[in-house]
Amino acid sequence: MHKVLYFSDEALLAGIRNEEESALAYLYKHHYPMILHFVQNNNGTEDEAKDIYQEAVIVFYEKIRDQSLELNCQIKTYLYSICRRLWLKRLALKNRFAGMVTDSDSFIPVEEELAEIEEKEAKFKKMGEALVLLGEPCKTLIEDFYIQDLSMQSITEKFGYTNADNTKNQKYKCLMRLKKLFFSLYKAEISSS
Amino acid sequence: MRKLETYHWIEKYLTGQLTGEELNNFELRLKTDPALAEQLQQYQDVTGTLQFYGQRKTLQQKLNTIHAQSFEPQPKKVITPFGNKEKRKIFWNQHYATIAVAASVAILTVFGTLISIDLWRSMGKQQAARYSALRREVEQIKNSQRAISKAITGSEANTTPKVEYDPGNFSGTGFAISADGYLVTSYHVVSGADSVFIQNSAGQQYKVKNIYRDQAHDLAILKIADESFSGFGTLPYGIKSNESDLGERVYTLGFPREDMVFGEGSLSSRTGFEGDTTSYQISIPVNPGNSGGPLLDNQGNLIGVISGKQLDLQGAAFAVKSAYLKQLVEQLSQDSLEAPIKLAKSNQLAGASRTRQLKKLQDYVFVIKVYNN
Repeated sequence: MHKVLYFSDEALLAGIRNEEESALAYLYKHHYPMILHFVQNNNGTEDEAKDIYQEAVIVFYEKIRDQSLELNCQIKTYLYSICRRLWLKRLALKNRFAGMVTDSDSFIPVEEELAEIEEKEAKFKKMGEALVLLGEPCKTLIEDFYIQDLSMQSITEKFGYTNADNTKNQKYKCLMRLKKLFFSLYKAEISSS
Repeated sequence: MRKLETYHWIEKYLTGQLTGEELNNFELRLKTDPALAEQLQQYQDVTGTLQFYGQRKTLQQKLNTIHAQSFEPQPKKVITPFGNKEKRKIFWNQHYATIAVAASVAILTVFGTLISIDLWRSMGKQQAARYSALRREVEQIKNSQRAISKAITGSEANTTPKVEYDPGNFSGTGFAISADGYLVTSYHVVSGADSVFIQNSAGQQYKVKNIYRDQAHDLAILKIADESFSGFGTLPYGIKSNESDLGERVYTLGFPREDMVFGEGSLSSRTGFEGDTTSYQISIPVNPGNSGGPLLDNQGNLIGVISGKQLDLQGAAFAVKSAYLKQLVEQLSQDSLEAPIKLAKSNQLAGASRTRQLKKLQDYVFVIKVYNN
């Protein structure tokens, strides 16, 4: 793949939809400095800038991938708006909030996105916790099957089960346990927030 | 194992492995069995979330890799001689606005205070200058009096003056308020005086003693302490208690110079200097020496005591209201005197022409001579 020096916004969107690594890398590198500058000008560190930025890129990426994004502005404006909103939230939590941020760019309202972002964030976090609580061998079994998409055959071999049906039963048991763990953690999180 | 079987069906259904009749049956069951529908939903939720979790995790790792490749992390802590640079930077970014405001306020306060002190001092001087008490230096008069007395003694006149004709250091005007020899004048005329003498235009001169001084209202009460005094008789004017009206025609008698001077004008305002409710403003042309003199209305009622002249307002002069004089006398009579002061009451001047009024009044208006030994 030849190296492309410049992606237009449309090219970037197309590249991301096609899961092209180069598009993602370009997107990431191109927009980070602006966010770093913004966060540092508003009482933030480099690490915080990186966190906020990655959150925003993930949000953007996922929305492109499941085609739920209606982009009416430039990509950089969208990313800036998300980062700005996330940073405001962080500042409020840190009690370091003076009431206003110094903007370095124009932004769009993203309140609706914020609710969605928070919900997804909660799900992600709780699933991670549930998997940890699941323990072995369930965790690896579930991950292999549902995330890695490994075949029944290879899993049976890997785990040393006698046959596929056995594996299926194990998988069922693990999944039920995960379901219970996840729902209880998630409901606790929802009700406490 | 019912549940296990159900779960297998669900999985098959979701992965599109059910066909034909099996498919129809299953779909029918979904519609009619809410428990099954719920199981299906939960299965989808969990597996869906799992996948979402996996994908996001992968993406995070990708982004971290890209970041590490393109943006080398700065050395986290630059230890300078002054300590942690990163922390200092954050601190400065956070607080520089506040620091700037604090510094500006400090500077403004310092200069503001210096300027206002200077202003205040010059204001004080101005005030003193503006509201000048009407006193008169008589250095020149002293000299001329000495010359005259020399001429008189030289010619052996019939009437020899009882005392040495020394006009004193300051003078103002005073007037009688009771038959037995009480007089009123301005506080500032007699303040700090060691001895006070009075003399009217008929040449009658008496020593007086100071009874009371009211600095707040610029009034002083004197009493004649002289053996040759035998009482004034009933005074022809009374002291008014109520306020006079705006535009009232008023007049005064006083001694801005050696001879008595009559001045008339109007009541310009029912308040005095800068809204002082204890004085009137009048338009009589007065001069140093008029201080302490009587202010009378058209009917010859005493309505005030001449007090001060505002130098920068043409034709503006002030007089303390007679109501305060009455108040002062009443308090004195209650507090400190053996016998109360019987204030002049009867008015024999109303209806008389101005010249007639003045003829009756003039014996009761005196020049005040103050001596500081």
